[in-house]
Amino acid sequence: MSSTIPRPPFDPELEAVLALLADQIPPTLTPELIPVMRAGMVTPSVDELIGDRPVSYRVEQIPGHRGDPIEVTVFQRTGHSQPGPAIYHTHGGGMILGDRYAGIEPLLNWVEKYDAVAVTVEYRLAPEFPDPFPVEDCYAGLVWTAENAARLGIDAERLLIYGASAGGGLAAGVSLLSRDRKGPALIGQGLIYPMLDDRDLTISTQQIDGVGVWDRGSNITGWNGLLGERRGGDDVSIYAAPSRATDLSGLPPAFITCGSAEVFRDEDVAYASAIWAAGGQAELHVWPGGFHGSDMLAPHVRISQLANEATENWIARLLGA
Amino acid sequence: MQELVGRLTALDPEAGEGLKVIAYFDALAAGGVGIDGLLGGAAVLAGTVAGAEVQGKVRRRDPSGARLDVSPSAPRSSSRSGPGWSVWLERAERPHANDAMVVERLALAVEQVIARSVPDSGLDILIDETRSSTDRVSALSRLRLDPATRVRLIASVPEDIPSNEPSTLVPTNFGVLRATLDVLGDRTLRSRAGLGTWERADGASASWRSAIIAFRLTDSNVPVVDATDLGAMLLLAEAYDPRSPHKDVLALDRLDARTAAILRVLVEADSIRAAALQLGMHHSSLHARHDSLSRELGYDVRTVAGRIRYGAAELLRRLTDPAALQQGHSTGQDVTGSSHR
Repeated sequence: MSSTIPRPPFDPELEAVLALLADQIPPTLTPELIPVMRAGMVTPSVDELIGDRPVSYRVEQIPGHRGDPIEVTVFQRTGHSQPGPAIYHTHGGGMILGDRYAGIEPLLNWVEKYDAVAVTVEYRLAPEFPDPFPVEDCYAGLVWTAENAARLGIDAERLLIYGASAGGGLAAGVSLLSRDRKGPALIGQGLIYPMLDDRDLTISTQQIDGVGVWDRGSNITGWNGLLGERRGGDDVSIYAAPSRATDLSGLPPAFITCGSAEVFRDEDVAYASAIWAAGGQAELHVWPGGFHGSDMLAPHVRISQLANEATENWIARLLGA
Repeated sequence: MQELVGRLTALDPEAGEGLKVIAYFDALAAGGVGIDGLLGGAAVLAGTVAGAEVQGKVRRRDPSGARLDVSPSAPRSSSRSGPGWSVWLERAERPHANDAMVVERLALAVEQVIARSVPDSGLDILIDETRSSTDRVSALSRLRLDPATRVRLIASVPEDIPSNEPSTLVPTNFGVLRATLDVLGDRTLRSRAGLGTWERADGASASWRSAIIAFRLTDSNVPVVDATDLGAMLLLAEAYDPRSPHKDVLALDRLDARTAAILRVLVEADSIRAAALQLGMHHSSLHARHDSLSRELGYDVRTVAGRIRYGAAELLRRLTDPAALQQGHSTGQDVTGSSHR
């Protein structure tokens, strides 16, 4: 498949990175490739991820959707004693890949820097566990975090949710659930290039077709895994695909960031616009020449540095004393 | 998702990945990435600090992309340099397999950036005789020069970068030279320089032409030549086509160093006897050499006309395109001007 609409150019430094990694960029993810991709995604051990930061962790079993046991990992700074802010993390991976440690590194920095507690949830993956398992597992984990706040050293009034890619979509979905179910309260939702729309109708989905890290084809595979035949139809909830929500009032302040050359650009921009239209608070960044996840793939690149600085800036405003 | 590829990490310290390094820097250069971006890329690939010094400004970046302060004592394990710039990698242990290639490609990319960033002051247009007078008028205004201002151009080696005066690099028959605009006449000349004639600013191209000629006449003994000092010889030099050497020029060029020295002394000395003394030769040997040389050249350098003819040929020889000299010898032209094989 090749794109029919010319896409925005990649940043020149990122073009060079793509040239370098040409043989390592995975092809469009089709359903048959899911087991291969899962096997290939080897996350470093938790201890390796923590490195020499003064951070400790423990794994807990908690009730997920329907009360089924799922796991979370709780990170806190050594010597953490006073209740403080918490970041609830929903990991990415297209709804079908990854584990709760994928993309956790920035949060470990914030645990150390702000003495925040981080809780990351192992929601069950599609297609084996289709919608609503992923978003309901995530919501259950948030509820558990709020209910156990005192024990976890968390101030329940300083809870923010944060996720990238599919994790961003889940974070948006959980934010909607917490609004509609009247809790737990959130002080912010960090949506990093979030996956929000199952309908495959935007210009950016057409532009990023057969190119980059997560293209149109891969996106359809992910959404099909989550929604099966319901994808694109009338029977999809706003919690599974937040782009379908028509009322975005009453939500916690959102931080949305994406690249100008990625599949999720248009739905991310539309989501911010809809929040503003409802009188809400949102901060939106679209990084010129960025592709999906380029800020994590190549953090040394100028545009990635700016993107990461902007995220750090938002977190500092939210969690800083 | 981004986790599928992970994070860009440094190249294997042991395995050569030359093609990847080339592709990477070619992409950066093609994208017009600046020096900071080039250094960041080099640092990530090599997994260590990469640095550059360009016209006195030092930049260092580490593999995370962070900018570091100047550190003169940091160990430079691989480096390359050129006029006004140098690049390097900082590694305490022995170089990794790809370090040399990374530094080489980084150097090339940095050179390109420097060439692109030379500010376009308009000087290149002003001294270009092929440009229209309209172009020159706009160049004059960019340089804030009145058309009647007396100026001269100075031709020097590219590395001789002036601190204030407008200058530009110009490709000539003799390689790339630096053209510097001189208005005050007080420029300190650091190395070889050819000083052009003083002209009206709107006629600066004539000054540049003469500056190139003057520069061509410099050597280690005479590092600075002023075109004005050539007097009327300048007319001859300007009329000469460096690609089409006169037979007198070829004849002189054919002489070996010792013979050329003898000829020079014969021209300059008061008498054959004095010349012989200077050369450490017996005067009758020198007489014999003089006769054979006169036959070979077709003229006698100790006559007034011969002296002038020799001087003209010597001047023009210094201005001839070396490739044209080669060419002239290989077509077998002799002193009579007839070709034979």
